[in-house]
Amino acid sequence: MVLGLYTFADIAADGAPRLEAADGEELVRVDRAAELALGPRALKAPGTLFLTTRRVIWVSDGGEGYAVDFVAVSLHAVSRDPEAYPYPCIYTQIETEASSGEESDVSDSETNGELELSKVTEMRIIPSDPGQLDELFEAFCNCAELNPDPSAESDEEPGWVHGDEGYEDMTDGSDTEFSDVNPIGQTGEQDITHAVIKLQINDQRFEDAEIDEESHINGN
Amino acid sequence: MLFFSYFKELVGKEVTVELKNDLAIRGTLHSVDQYLNIKLENTCVVDQDKYPHMLSVRNCFIRGSVVRYVLLPQDGVDIDILHDATRREARGG
Repeated sequence: MVLGLYTFADIAADGAPRLEAADGEELVRVDRAAELALGPRALKAPGTLFLTTRRVIWVSDGGEGYAVDFVAVSLHAVSRDPEAYPYPCIYTQIETEASSGEESDVSDSETNGELELSKVTEMRIIPSDPGQLDELFEAFCNCAELNPDPSAESDEEPGWVHGDEGYEDMTDGSDTEFSDVNPIGQTGEQDITHAVIKLQINDQRFEDAEIDEESHINGN
Repeated sequence: MLFFSYFKELVGKEVTVELKNDLAIRGTLHSVDQYLNIKLENTCVVDQDKYPHMLSVRNCFIRGSVVRYVLLPQDGVDIDILHDATRREARGG
């Protein structure tokens, strides 16, 4: 799992990126004339944005390319307030090798004025047509949903599956947000008494008290 | 599946999501998926001075794997139901 931004140079003669087709990577969306801004700076302008099923790739018109895998995109959002950034854009935060383990200042992606790609934690994509922002946001959402953490997938192993609760729908990619999972508090047909563990206490203090004939409460 | 089910019940309520990078974002829970990816609307950043770039953001998508906490509204939590549900989940029942 690769975190952080990296340079991308595998570009075909027609300007399109060469993808890992053997791994099933496919192109999802292309936005021409999109600018990229890494960290606090605006980068080269303009270029072409390619969204694939695995990652975000941006290639400048001059052939300079950058990419980040969706597993490393912590969040993305539409940013429209000119006070935060002069142009409407998709704002993203990137998880880097450095930030994944420790505290780090988001603004230290530059050293001596040089941009350190592996430390960039914020990236903005500025499409030439701001009207495309909502679609672009949705495309980011769709691609992000295609890239769960590898460790998250292992949680779906049989040990955690609850057979008859209709979880088969979960793998249907078209509607991941609504499924037949029982809402909290409703067990459906399930009888939960079998799941209650009987408490075994072998301590004499919990034995019934001996009844002493001579000490009845109301006895004489 | 417990938390997915639980968060679905919270859609429409206001929550605060705290990320592993310490950023905290308050917003209305729009939707959640099986990986606990979260979409929030009407967002505002809790500590605005620390993260000024997030100020203009109104809706966002947060990757489930970077969430540290989801802070819940007081009236969004039925302790008894949650207690029972977590007990059942832990016993695999």
